[in-house]
Amino acid sequence: MRNSRRDIFKFAGGAVAGALFTPAPWRLITDTALWSENWPGIPRPARGEIRAKFTNCALCPAGCAVRARCVGEQPVSLAGVGGGLCPFGLTAHHLPYHPARLRQGPIGEATAAVGKHGKEAIAVLDLNPGRTVSWTYRRAMASVKGLYLAPESQPVAYDLPAAKTVLSIGAALLDGWGTPANVSAARRNFRLIQAEPTESRTAMLADEWIPIAPGGESAFAQSVPGLAFAKDLSVVIGDAPEIPEINRRIGAFGKTVFARPEAPVPDSWKGAAAVTALDDVPDHSIGVLLIDESSAVSYIPWHRIQRKLVRENPLVVTFAATRGGYARYAQYALPTAVYPEVSGDVAPAVDCVHPAFRISVPLVAPVVTGVANPADFVAALAGLPATDSLRERADAIHKTGKGVVVTYADGKETPVKDLAADAFWKSLNAGAAWTWADAAPRPPAAGRSTVHPAEALESAADLPLVAIGGPQTPGLVSPLMTKLYQESNLRLAPNRVALHPDDARAAKLANGAHATLQTLTGKCAVEVTIDPAVPPGAVQVGSSPGIQDVCGPAARAKVVRA
Amino acid sequence: MRPSNNQTPAARYGMSIDVDRCNGCGSCMVACAVENNVPPAAAGATDRTGLTWIRVFRIDNGAEGADRRSAFVPVLCQHCGKDAPCVSVCPQQAVDVDPATGIVGQMPERCLGCRYCMAACPYHARYFNWWDPAWPAGMEKTLNPDVAPRMRGVVEKCNFCHGRWHAAKAKAVANGKAEIDPADYIPACVEACPNGAIQFGNLNDAATATAQSAHQPGSFRMLESLGTDPKIYYHSKKNWVHEISKAPRPGTAKETSRG
Repeated sequence: MRNSRRDIFKFAGGAVAGALFTPAPWRLITDTALWSENWPGIPRPARGEIRAKFTNCALCPAGCAVRARCVGEQPVSLAGVGGGLCPFGLTAHHLPYHPARLRQGPIGEATAAVGKHGKEAIAVLDLNPGRTVSWTYRRAMASVKGLYLAPESQPVAYDLPAAKTVLSIGAALLDGWGTPANVSAARRNFRLIQAEPTESRTAMLADEWIPIAPGGESAFAQSVPGLAFAKDLSVVIGDAPEIPEINRRIGAFGKTVFARPEAPVPDSWKGAAAVTALDDVPDHSIGVLLIDESSAVSYIPWHRIQRKLVRENPLVVTFAATRGGYARYAQYALPTAVYPEVSGDVAPAVDCVHPAFRISVPLVAPVVTGVANPADFVAALAGLPATDSLRERADAIHKTGKGVVVTYADGKETPVKDLAADAFWKSLNAGAAWTWADAAPRPPAAGRSTVHPAEALESAADLPLVAIGGPQTPGLVSPLMTKLYQESNLRLAPNRVALHPDDARAAKLANGAHATLQTLTGKCAVEVTIDPAVPPGAVQVGSSPGIQDVCGPAARAKVVRA
Repeated sequence: MRPSNNQTPAARYGMSIDVDRCNGCGSCMVACAVENNVPPAAAGATDRTGLTWIRVFRIDNGAEGADRRSAFVPVLCQHCGKDAPCVSVCPQQAVDVDPATGIVGQMPERCLGCRYCMAACPYHARYFNWWDPAWPAGMEKTLNPDVAPRMRGVVEKCNFCHGRWHAAKAKAVANGKAEIDPADYIPACVEACPNGAIQFGNLNDAATATAQSAHQPGSFRMLESLGTDPKIYYHSKKNWVHEISKAPRPGTAKETSRG
């Protein structure tokens, strides 16, 4: 039999058609998927010995205990010890690699410029006061007769476990206000009444939510003594300037409200400069301002700082991790290390009435080289050695022989008097907390509130909205926070504002639109989120420095299309 | 031969989520992303195209003004115990139910990206990789070595942190035990929750807190009427929260939904 060309074609066609009914092509598809799984674009996680390291989170004064799972020396995940962590703390091991980090700055030039200006009218603004480095600033300023500035001069601490009924006027009590694990544990034992314009995360879980008019926090605070539940209140928490007086009147001072305690310091530090609230500084009196915003836990609008600077040729040097904050205004922005690549202690927490000392132990070597150390920079102005200040303070604590050290690896409590100074220092650097629960808490000073009052509701017909602020967020957050800001809208992104659908419709704004936020202070580019939970006539603003510069709480505002 | 989708597993891992304790902080979402090497959002990613193996939705009671009340509901793969729709539709056998644990697993290396499973999932708890996974320079050092990053074009979903189950199993074997210690196997979202709103455990073991809370008054499951036997139980004392059990995705029945 002779095969024709037609037969060859028929055979080939039949083979192709028949192959479709065999597993071969389907297997090929699977194999293609398998091969492409491993193409070079997919990162390969590093492998190595798995170890645990312990530290304290330095992103906010809560200072949560952290267990880091490390591959070799590299942390690959963070978890809380004895409780969960907030999303910012859970992703803090990404911060050293953040693309928005400041990577270089003219450190030498800044030093020379400060030297040229002289030390007259010099001040340090510390946006995370209460740390050991804060004491270095205070000592240096005492030496050069400068000012040590902080957002508040007399911070208080609240004893939530001792409270039976808590009234929160706009405070984010259950959303990052204090140490999450402690607040969560205390929450079972007190009744929470939340008064604020929006049903926030705290209002949602409160026993009672009292909706108040946007910007009406002060008015509500003034009415508290006349409310039916006033006699039951253990403490009132919030930023309204009337609140310290209400707490004094309801007898909370010395029961649930105390002066925020600090761990002991060496005797030689006690001549340090006093803490001065920025608002107490005369206008146009600061010639050289050094700002430490490297681990800022609050933000002061620039116009309030600018008012304090001399009119002629002021010098502003900021120590920052990103260019988003005061670096926009400073002559020199110097890069700093970020948590968890730098060693330092954590400021006292707002919900801790006993002295504590917690060191944030570095988990990774600094990723950016050539960063400035703000403590060294400021100490050098006064000729002070700053390098061993943490150890000096630990020795001063050890010398008291008071309190216990809780080591996170084993949960063991060891009285300080049973430890040698070196062993005490070693345990603090292995992830531990020193606490002195027997120390009698001090009632707060009876001074006036240093909380900056909300902006007055000036009549401004063309500014129809009233601003509602949200919880402060760290200046540098992990790129993974896009899961919450972008892929789910679970949290209002720092550069966004939220409007009620009616207000958005009136302003012809769609969800996600680019817009301009205008206030009496200035304007700022924002993106819009439409949210029916925002009350009509209000605008909920994100916490970016740009927005906070122009829009304080209760400010009159409008949002227009960009 | 494909194993039966209806076998009773030796263990039946599940969750009990107390909606009344969730404050929507998002810790579970980012902890999940860290544990499972889920990349940050691509520039164009939205709530429809993003990768969030567990997503917290905000729901409300539909009232306006002062009567409005909201709650947060974390939604993840419900790990259907019977007739999991995603298993039966997958042409690649890339989805299976582990007979030892009852966990519905996804094998991305087998996945074609046809997305039949996404269409079949009544809970919309599956996510498609629209972009190549990318981390900012240097951040890939922080990836979890126990979980391989997935490529563009495959479907992903919660697997109850299967890497942690393997680690717990290896530890049990090393200690000469047949069963894992429950303390060694806790998914990342459970560990991360600051409010203790999520419990995890073997639902077949009546002694576990998870099994007990799953059957307390006020507990419910999503779309129970479909008969898929989901292993995620929700609990709330608020009756209006129970409405989510009837919707395919929390809040989707109302115009006011977000997320």
